[in-house]
Amino acid sequence: MSKRAVDTIFSATFILTDLRMILRETAPTHQLDSRQREEAARLLDNLERQVASLKQELLK
Amino acid sequence: MRCGAGIEARQVNELAINIDPIQAGGRLTADAMKAIIAYGDGYSVCDNCRKPNRLDYISKPPIAEFHKEVASWLGMDVVRTVPGARRAFQAVARTYVGKADPVLLTSLSHYTEFLAVEESGGVAREIPADPGHIVTADAAAVKAEEVRRDTGKYPVLAIIDQVDYQYGNLHDVRAIAKALHQYDIPVLCNGAYTVGILPVDGKALGVDFIAGSGHKSMAAPAPSGILATTAERAGEVFRTTAITGDVSGRKFGIKEPAMMGCTLMGATLIGMMASFPHVKERVKHFDRELANNQAVLSDLLSIRGTRILSEMPRKHTLTRVDTTASFDTVAQTHKKKGFFLASDLGAKGIAGIIPGATRIWKFNTYGITAAQAQYLATAFTGIAQEYGLAIQ
Repeated sequence: MSKRAVDTIFSATFILTDLRMILRETAPTHQLDSRQREEAARLLDNLERQVASLKQELLK
Repeated sequence: MRCGAGIEARQVNELAINIDPIQAGGRLTADAMKAIIAYGDGYSVCDNCRKPNRLDYISKPPIAEFHKEVASWLGMDVVRTVPGARRAFQAVARTYVGKADPVLLTSLSHYTEFLAVEESGGVAREIPADPGHIVTADAAAVKAEEVRRDTGKYPVLAIIDQVDYQYGNLHDVRAIAKALHQYDIPVLCNGAYTVGILPVDGKALGVDFIAGSGHKSMAAPAPSGILATTAERAGEVFRTTAITGDVSGRKFGIKEPAMMGCTLMGATLIGMMASFPHVKERVKHFDRELANNQAVLSDLLSIRGTRILSEMPRKHTLTRVDTTASFDTVAQTHKKKGFFLASDLGAKGIAGIIPGATRIWKFNTYGITAAQAQYLATAFTGIAQEYGLAIQ
């Protein structure tokens, strides 16, 4: 059992959900203001960490 | 992109500003989306169901606490979750309405209120709205008396929409309830467009029941909603089962027949619960929603010939508009006829207006940002200018 892999899957999908909300808030142009860009960058960095963790956990 | 065989992934709220009149308040919060990811399986909230085996007693996830919080938030004593406000109408009607009993609705009532009365064998009697499309306490009292003259008895129940679906007008439920209570008529406030949108206090309204819609106004998946009532009425509408199987001798504990036992047993309930903290907060800021609505209306009204049919100034973001003398004049000669408006709006990333409608139509700006409201306003005037309509 890999609890870590499961947690990471949820974390990653939750991060994607937060990114989805940014798309909703900025529809239809999806032009992000500085605050939204900062938030998106933070989320994407975190998402990359989750994906790296998943690779490590599932493909070891 | 597909999310299942033959099922396109729905992306309307990501790609467009969606002003569909019935969808605005039901758009999910991020927390609701996350909760649904975790609780999408069938009986997902039932893992820790223990005796007395009823949904509103489950403490993990905190469903019992949620019920108490919703009741308190609405100024009522007891709440149950239901699959949509219509099921709340049905539960109340089944409790109080018998064959041929008169029930007060209004000339602006939602069709499901009629169906709830019909299914219970009752007779619908409509309180007429005034010329401004407002239902008044005086009209309610007059109708109650009229029913008494016609049938020999007063109505057994009244279902009053706090905000109606046709004009989005706010009706004085408090005054109406006060008037009808003089005849001992219990009052169910249909808060499908208010609970989760603006502050609602059942005690201040003086009503016996409040129905709310999760998918219409509480940022929850469909079908979901709530039925709230007073301690006095709870034992009637939430009566517990007394039936026994004649062969098995089985009884069914404290299940409630009007609720058909447990109600929302998975994603719908967890979605409503996850959104609830945000919903509680957002109702405090309804003034911002009205400001966004006003920004759009100002531009719409600048297009000569356009009229707002809803009460003004607006007290709700659901708005009925008449563009017979503006956009519909374009439709008369446009190759797409009345479909041009929805088509042109769609090209600008705006969705939710009924295709083909250029005369009388509705839209709802609830939940959009100020920037999106400005974009929407400019889109309307931009289309008008494109076709040579005068801007005042």
